[in-house]
Amino acid sequence: MPTRTSQRWIDWAIIAVMALIAFFMLLPFAWLFSMSFRTVRDAYQMPPSFVPPRLDFDNYRAVLNSSIPFLQIYANSVEVAVLVTVGQLITCTLAAFAFARLNFAGRDTLFFVMLAGLLFPAQVTIIPIYLGYGRIGLLNRPIGLALMYLTSAFGVFLVRQFMRSQPKALEEAALMDGASYLKIFFRISLPQLRPALASLGIITFTQTWNYYFQARVLLEPQDAMTLPIAMDVLRGYLGSGNLALVMAAMSMSVLPVILLFLLAQKMVIEGIAMTGIKT
Amino acid sequence: MLAAVARQPSDLQRLQARTGYLFIFPSFALYVIFVLAPVVVTCILSFTYFDPMAGSRWVGLDNYVRFFTDDRSQQIFWNTLRFTAFAVTGNICVGMLFALALDREMPGPLLYFFRLAFFLPVIIAAAFVSIVWGYFYGDDLGVINYYLIHLGLSPIHWLTSSRYAMMSIVIMDVWKNAGFFMIIFIAALQGVPKTLVEAAVMDGAGYWRRFFRIVLPWISPVVFFAIVYASIGALQVFESIVILTQGGPGDATRSMSIYIVEEAFDSFEIGYAASVAVIMTVVILAITVLQFLASRAWVRH
Repeated sequence: MPTRTSQRWIDWAIIAVMALIAFFMLLPFAWLFSMSFRTVRDAYQMPPSFVPPRLDFDNYRAVLNSSIPFLQIYANSVEVAVLVTVGQLITCTLAAFAFARLNFAGRDTLFFVMLAGLLFPAQVTIIPIYLGYGRIGLLNRPIGLALMYLTSAFGVFLVRQFMRSQPKALEEAALMDGASYLKIFFRISLPQLRPALASLGIITFTQTWNYYFQARVLLEPQDAMTLPIAMDVLRGYLGSGNLALVMAAMSMSVLPVILLFLLAQKMVIEGIAMTGIKT
Repeated sequence: MLAAVARQPSDLQRLQARTGYLFIFPSFALYVIFVLAPVVVTCILSFTYFDPMAGSRWVGLDNYVRFFTDDRSQQIFWNTLRFTAFAVTGNICVGMLFALALDREMPGPLLYFFRLAFFLPVIIAAAFVSIVWGYFYGDDLGVINYYLIHLGLSPIHWLTSSRYAMMSIVIMDVWKNAGFFMIIFIAALQGVPKTLVEAAVMDGAGYWRRFFRIVLPWISPVVFFAIVYASIGALQVFESIVILTQGGPGDATRSMSIYIVEEAFDSFEIGYAASVAVIMTVVILAITVLQFLASRAWVRH
């Protein structure tokens, strides 16, 4: 049996090792931001920078002024992420309320059928959606991508799990007093759900911001692209020697997600832990 | 009087049912339009030769036969399974090690920093981090090779040799996703009853013995969930490979997702691509069912 001091020593050794690993985990991000501040001329100079060599936003301006419609692409990403986040908050909360609080025939079957949807990858839905969008003119429009994701089984599941962990005494009391379900939903349930909705909102926004497979199939012209697919184009289009510009574009692209995460780390992590445990 | 009392709950029930259907309608309608219906259509397409101009025709199992007899698609199929096996093992093991390392007494700010550092790669798009790793893995101008040469070691063809390319992609995948599983495992570890672990300490069981005999069985439902989740994600691997190697060298790293997109939207072999997508889905379903059966046999609470 280890003594107290040797246990302490092990604790510190583990912390030291974890610190070293954390350092390497963060290195690619340090490189990304630092290289975005290099001059285009020095972009490929060795050794690489892990600390910004200067603070000059030339490269950022150059990306905005490049022949790639970067601002339009950025706006597309914002449009899709905001529409999907708002959409999911509405549709998932409504469905979760019904699944968690109301009794109706076929409820559990319907819930199961929706959950099974988590097993169908985008690969098995994209071809008909592509063909259908082609017919109704939604191809190459960011809104087409947003429409696909206005609800999610994951979101319904997350909110339902959270709701089931909440007491329903208040809702029952309101029902006894003759309040309508709509009123109960808006006045009593929604305010209680705030932590779950914050988690869902942040997770959904991040996920949507990062979609690649679907976006790549559905959005071809540059001014219809979202950021993740545009980065690949930017890398090839601007060619070698402009590593600094690609990294400037990347820095701008990851910024919203990193800010959101720094502001709400706890909610993201709790949301993920919550859905992970209670399956 | 009695009749009125009896009717009361049934009115309420009807109201409840109507509200219930109304509330799930938006989600369910969208789910049918964007998931269920496309899945059915893809299954149908997989039995056809699709040609909107000359007219599509029914070809039975031809597309499937082609997939399972073609050398190239066989390689792509096994690439995908190989990637999945390595990536899932790596992510689950590393995620568990991180979780065990952080599931102990340490100063609050330190814990906050570690969780941040390990989780940051999870939230950044695979497309973005792959571009960064692409420069890290470069042959001549690569960051890693630069330091390898400085240390007197020989440079490695991370992405351009068919021996290492898949491993390089797996390494990046573990770097990116292990933090996600860490978070899930930390939450699970905190649910293990302290008394159980303390009793084992009293009995003189060492750390790893306690872990394998008590902790791991206790959290095994979460571990099974994590394995299923990781497998579903890994089988769909797409952008990290597209960006790092474009499936090469040769077909060494080409995955089923890449193949589906190339066949469907470059060659316009819609029917064939649909069959590949169906096969991928069947693999996902099979892995899920297998793992749930295994978990039922293993997990005893």
